[in-house]
Amino acid sequence: MRLDSIAKVIRSKNAGPCLLTLDVMLPDEATFAYVAERIGALRRQVAQRYGRSENEVAVLPFAPALAVKITLPREIVSGDVGDRDVYGAQQHAPLLDIEL
Amino acid sequence: MTAIGRLLDDFSRRRRPLRSLGASGQLGYGIPTPAFEAGLARAPDMIGVDMGSIDIGPAYLGGGKMAPTRVGAKRDLRKVLRAARRLDIPLIVGSAGSAGARPHLDQTLDIIREIAREDGLAFRMAVVGSDVPRAEIKQAIAAGRVRPMDTMPPLTEADVDAASHIVGQLGLEAFRRALEADVDVVVLGRACDTGIFASIPAMLGFPAGISMHMAKIIECASLCCVPGGRDTILGILDDDGFELESMAPNRAAMPSSVAAHSLYEQADPFDIREPSGRADLRHVTYRALDARRTRVEGATFEPAERDTIKLEGASMIGHRALLLAGAADPRFIARHAEIFAAVSRVVRDLVCEDTAEDYRLGFRLFGVDGVRAWAEPPAQMPREAFVMGECIAPTPERAEEVIRTTKQYLLHHGYEGRLCTAGNLAFPFTPPEVMIGAAYRFNVFHLMDVDDMARLFPVEVETVR
Repeated sequence: MRLDSIAKVIRSKNAGPCLLTLDVMLPDEATFAYVAERIGALRRQVAQRYGRSENEVAVLPFAPALAVKITLPREIVSGDVGDRDVYGAQQHAPLLDIEL
Repeated sequence: MTAIGRLLDDFSRRRRPLRSLGASGQLGYGIPTPAFEAGLARAPDMIGVDMGSIDIGPAYLGGGKMAPTRVGAKRDLRKVLRAARRLDIPLIVGSAGSAGARPHLDQTLDIIREIAREDGLAFRMAVVGSDVPRAEIKQAIAAGRVRPMDTMPPLTEADVDAASHIVGQLGLEAFRRALEADVDVVVLGRACDTGIFASIPAMLGFPAGISMHMAKIIECASLCCVPGGRDTILGILDDDGFELESMAPNRAAMPSSVAAHSLYEQADPFDIREPSGRADLRHVTYRALDARRTRVEGATFEPAERDTIKLEGASMIGHRALLLAGAADPRFIARHAEIFAAVSRVVRDLVCEDTAEDYRLGFRLFGVDGVRAWAEPPAQMPREAFVMGECIAPTPERAEEVIRTTKQYLLHHGYEGRLCTAGNLAFPFTPPEVMIGAAYRFNVFHLMDVDDMARLFPVEVETVR
């Protein structure tokens, strides 16, 4: 299933100037469980799409909000020369068509 | 008696829940009046506002400028200051002037004094600056007491000298010292947002974990609600947990939305960090009290082994000039990468005839790679695209010279297969070159051990009237 067809929120933002954090919020427990069971595959695909090694990508299920949090290093520290997204609020697009 | 004195006195006679009003998560951008007034009608014990964030990038910290306008900041400060004085309750302001360095703090204090003068307000104010003396940081580097945060390289003395401002994120102990100076208003430079709302609970002996958890949520006003928004929120804290209620009737603090707020701008949703320790959210429960209110319990606090402060610093890297233009020619859009490279060479040969290549020139084609450096080109090129040229040079004059030359040669660059020989660019206006001032980068984002916060960050008290 495509991530953007099952999630109710897919968003990105800085977590400090060096890290990007992506939240995937699921609509119900069944969908959350479906994604939480596929954390390994998700991590692999995220690493590949963001050009990172898997050990740079943290994927953490957060049951209280039926969400999965993904955190990885920014390519360029926020606002530094060559940065394209100071707040990191539009870096979620590569997640949208991930198949799980 | 001061506002904090009155509150402490009241609690010494009768222990009861504490009512905190999170008026605004980013002061200076407007505080919706209906929800704020509704909050004031609920007999709050304090008003807190946060002005800052590191998300806004390095330019404000580096340049000593506030992110909101002075007019916006004054309007909002007037609103919270008048309300706090009217109810005679403490007002706590964190991360003054966005980035919280001395110029930001001074601008904020200047506005507060001006409001007091104009509106005939009188109060005692405690101020804690957050600038960290360079010599202190250098000593700490030499002693191995500074560590990089996340992906930053180790800090050097050269970084410390290069930064135009270096601040430390003050924690709740600094807010507490300010409140203990027996005041009505507290204003801090750069500070952890949790300290704004966790410091009074600490003085009153509420459990640290629960207090910090509540503080982390209400500092963002009604962002934890459905729909999330900037309206004032009320947090009612007792010894076992806290209750959240947005002061805007259309916003509901629901268990799921409050829990989801822990994700916001945080790498670890189970963890809230402060210089003095961390709140652990692993065993937190969220329970609906009704359709609009949620009760939260269960956060625990783990004190830090040693006191640390998070340093933030920004250094100037030059002056920035932009070229803003559009393109609708499919051949130009398809060949943009080689065109940009060729024009960069032409420009370099012209502007570096008797000067070194002392600038950086880059291009983005919005529609293709403006927002992300994608690994692959798009399957289909867009019909139109936005061209942004960016030059960073040692002086404003040099940046302008480079970008104006770039405009001319990009407009007229002859590339293979070109049909539009009268010009490659659509200018939405002229001049299409914009000077946007000094450019900065974060060159300090490190953790420093501190032995004596009170020595490094003393409280200044003044009577404003």
